[in-house]
Amino acid sequence: MNTMKWLLKREYWEHKGGFLWAPVVVATLIAVLSIGSMLYGVTAGNENGFRIGGDHNMSLNAALSSISEADKAEFAAKLAVGYPAFAMPVLMTFGFVAFFYCLGNLFDERKDRSILFWKSLPISDRESVVSKALMALVAGPIIATAIAFALSLIVMLTLMTLAALNGLNMFGAVLSNSDFYLVFVQLLSFIPIYILWALPTVGYLMFVSAWAKSKPFLWAVGVPVIGGVVLGWISMLTGAGIELDKYWQLVGRGLLSVFPGSWIPSVSFDNGVNVDDSHNMLSTVMSNTYGLLGTINLWIGVAVGLAFLAAATRMRRYRDEG
Amino acid sequence: MSSVLTATALSKQYGKFTAVDRINLNIEPGKIVGLIGPNGSGKTTTLKAALGLIPFEGELKVMGFDPRTQRDDLMKEVCFIADVAVLPRWIRVSEVLDFVAGTHPKFNRSKAMTYLDKTKLKPSMKVKEMSKGMIVQLHLAIVMSIDAKLLVLDEPTLGLDILYRKQFYQNLLEEYFDENKTIIVTTHQVEEIEHILTDLIFIREGKITLNTTMDEISERFTEVLVGSEHYEAAKALNPIDERSVFGKTVFLYDSVDRSSISQLGDIKTPGIADLFVATMKGTYA
Repeated sequence: MNTMKWLLKREYWEHKGGFLWAPVVVATLIAVLSIGSMLYGVTAGNENGFRIGGDHNMSLNAALSSISEADKAEFAAKLAVGYPAFAMPVLMTFGFVAFFYCLGNLFDERKDRSILFWKSLPISDRESVVSKALMALVAGPIIATAIAFALSLIVMLTLMTLAALNGLNMFGAVLSNSDFYLVFVQLLSFIPIYILWALPTVGYLMFVSAWAKSKPFLWAVGVPVIGGVVLGWISMLTGAGIELDKYWQLVGRGLLSVFPGSWIPSVSFDNGVNVDDSHNMLSTVMSNTYGLLGTINLWIGVAVGLAFLAAATRMRRYRDEG
Repeated sequence: MSSVLTATALSKQYGKFTAVDRINLNIEPGKIVGLIGPNGSGKTTTLKAALGLIPFEGELKVMGFDPRTQRDDLMKEVCFIADVAVLPRWIRVSEVLDFVAGTHPKFNRSKAMTYLDKTKLKPSMKVKEMSKGMIVQLHLAIVMSIDAKLLVLDEPTLGLDILYRKQFYQNLLEEYFDENKTIIVTTHQVEEIEHILTDLIFIREGKITLNTTMDEISERFTEVLVGSEHYEAAKALNPIDERSVFGKTVFLYDSVDRSSISQLGDIKTPGIADLFVATMKGTYA
């Protein structure tokens, strides 16, 4: 019996629309828009010419051919590292999907009473809750990253092909750049950090999902927001120096950590490396991201997330569904 | 063999309302037990307590396990249908079969397919495309293919037409049931399960009003069809119920000497439905 495998499959079947099709649709949209505008640029550029700098018109072909070898190399190097940036919206989409998935996964099964079917099978509440958390923290990010990478490759290859057809061949420079391949490994290497970083949000949302009798979104988001507003009033009326900034930071950490890259503001770059100067920005971000493992912020979040998941399991186990 | 289910002073409160009121119960293996009661009598609550779905007071052991603390062990031995149409709406027939086959060691997939072949269900169908009756058919096909020691069915045939209901209970008796298994079933259509039951439990306002075997029923209860000439004499023997049929009166007796009352008219063993109505009179008053 490979129960966990089947539980994950079940989550995937049910939420294919969110975890697979939503990122695919966004990726397709980006691909169509970016490739479309490239094609338009090429056609328009070759027919009407470009205005670069002064007032003399120049065809695209001529413009691209006139780029110096040094500039070309630098451009290729940047492209080789930066091309996954095309796919940022895909990862953002995944963030939204994960947020609402966690908010609904233990609520919906109670609402449609299908929990009475799942509970008639020899599957413990812990296994069920863990499988749902794994869907959001591991399977979901892997799918989203794969889609993001496929999109980046397509857009990138189209861009290079069009550039090559118009006199700017970067294939050699880009494909021989090891960063081009490393960048994917680096993107994947963010997933372990994502798991740890997103854990408190996933745990909190799933707890609310297991606990709320109705409207889990209002409880999960409304309560901390109203709490902040009330704190603000108290602070204003009494003159007590409540540190509202810290409160909102905490709320943000609790609610928004499912968004990939939401840890970046917490990454410290004070180890002497200037991001702009870096030859490989992503690897700089990455090596510093792993520095998060040494912060108390991350580990408190992990502990809080696990505690919420344990509470959600108890909730699912002992809740009176009468 | 030890009991399948033992309840001692089992109680369940919902606020001030007592759904189950200090029930004592003992169910032996190899039985098909009908748990019969009007709406809100506490039968579903009792079953949910036994399945570890709700907290409760008192003592309860099912297959030797405490449903509160040992539910995971319990679920390896028990299968149940706790409510109508609880299959998730998004799932396909093939998916639910794959899932149960992957997670339940005692599920026999080919058996389930044989049951499904007799229905209009197709592997690619989603639950949300099915009629209520089809959902029930799918759920029953799954449950009947799980070789559990205890099967608990709460209104399993709600929404099915009479042909399929008859078929289902027949299958349950002939193909599923054996002396090592126990089935506990609740239903409103008492007449349809009458012939398959070995034991009968009536529950009313959270209390057990009758707990007996089907054999005992025929020994204990007697129905007499009495003409008007013997009406007063029959009435004097303390019937528990009376009703008029075609100008005559049917009297129902508990523990009465059959030979003495057979002089008053034709006697027979009452059906469960009549017994039920007699015992439950005043429930909705």
